[in-house]
Amino acid sequence: MEASWPEADSVPLRREGASAVELDDNLAVYDDVGQLMILLNSSAGEVWNLCDGSTTVAAMIRELAEKYPDQASVIGDDVRETLRKLAELGLVDQGPEAL
Amino acid sequence: MPVPEVHDWAHCTQNLKALSYRFAVCCDDARLGTHISALLSSLRDADHPDEDAVAEPARHRYTLTASPERPGAVDVGRDGELVEPGLAPGVAVGWLVWDVNRLAAELSGEHLLFHSGGLEASGVGILVPAASGSGKSTLTAGLVRAGLGYLSDELVAVELDVAGTGTDRLLPYPKPITVKPGSFGVLADMAPEVLEGEGDGEWQVPVGEGTGRLVGGPCEPGFVIVPRYDPSAETALVRLSETEAFFTLALHAVNLLPHGPAGSEALGRLAARCACYALAFSDLDAACELVLGLVGTRV
Repeated sequence: MEASWPEADSVPLRREGASAVELDDNLAVYDDVGQLMILLNSSAGEVWNLCDGSTTVAAMIRELAEKYPDQASVIGDDVRETLRKLAELGLVDQGPEAL
Repeated sequence: MPVPEVHDWAHCTQNLKALSYRFAVCCDDARLGTHISALLSSLRDADHPDEDAVAEPARHRYTLTASPERPGAVDVGRDGELVEPGLAPGVAVGWLVWDVNRLAAELSGEHLLFHSGGLEASGVGILVPAASGSGKSTLTAGLVRAGLGYLSDELVAVELDVAGTGTDRLLPYPKPITVKPGSFGVLADMAPEVLEGEGDGEWQVPVGEGTGRLVGGPCEPGFVIVPRYDPSAETALVRLSETEAFFTLALHAVNLLPHGPAGSEALGRLAARCACYALAFSDLDAACELVLGLVGTRV
């Protein structure tokens, strides 16, 4: 993983074979390839759900900042940190750069 | 080492079925054979009850024959191979139940399997998942004694997405209930007839017809009860969140990985559709009362 990732125009993609189950306010993600099951809290789950391979990181941050305006100042850092952790776990690919 | 062929069996069981594992047992001692037949009669293969167990090649066959080396002991064979030589008859019966359970788990991978007790209350299934030593079999036995239908004390199979309906159901695997010595006292009225060598270690309690212990049928799961025996605990039920239930079920799933995403989705359905509780208990009767009250069944 590149040290600067994710950039604003990165388009993270959920790993093929990973599936998610909604539980209470959480999301259990099961990775069939890595044989890993992990519980994401609601914030991380929202980021996960936006990793569709077409939404840029900038768009993710914008969407979540609109949804949670009182946390807008920290959402950028939170989204990037969450994406880095998901990538470390192999649950998202960095995806192609946005065109 | 091959088992010497014995054609003149004193007793063979009916065809038996432990989930997808089909087997029969033949003995050269009529008393032992009759004892095993009675013990395993709840596993009778209703689809193929009357085929010739000896002639049917697809069915696995256990043989218990007098040991030539050790008077009074038996040699246990499986499919023509000697697998456990020179066991006391009661020990051989315990080994047989253990081996059937092992192979049922190994050969029933089409279902999602849980290390769990299972019960049926008026058509509603109850899962009792727990690690060994948590009181799972004891609680299951107590609830069967109280009148609930028995599915299993050890291994529960969940048939996923039955006929594409999106529903799951628990399947009966009514093996004998295995009771450990620590529970002999609270389940004393369930003490089975024992053979030499049996009873020192564990009881194998028969279920089904003629025993007063009902066997349940396939049923949709409605409850998950996670028991934990603790002699210092106040007996109480505590509701689990969907998340807690999901990971508890995942922890006790035997074959989650081979089912891939379908398995985790099934766990999600179970956690969402079932009422899930942790049950700490120090008193079996009080624990059974709580569960019976919860499932709305008074027997």
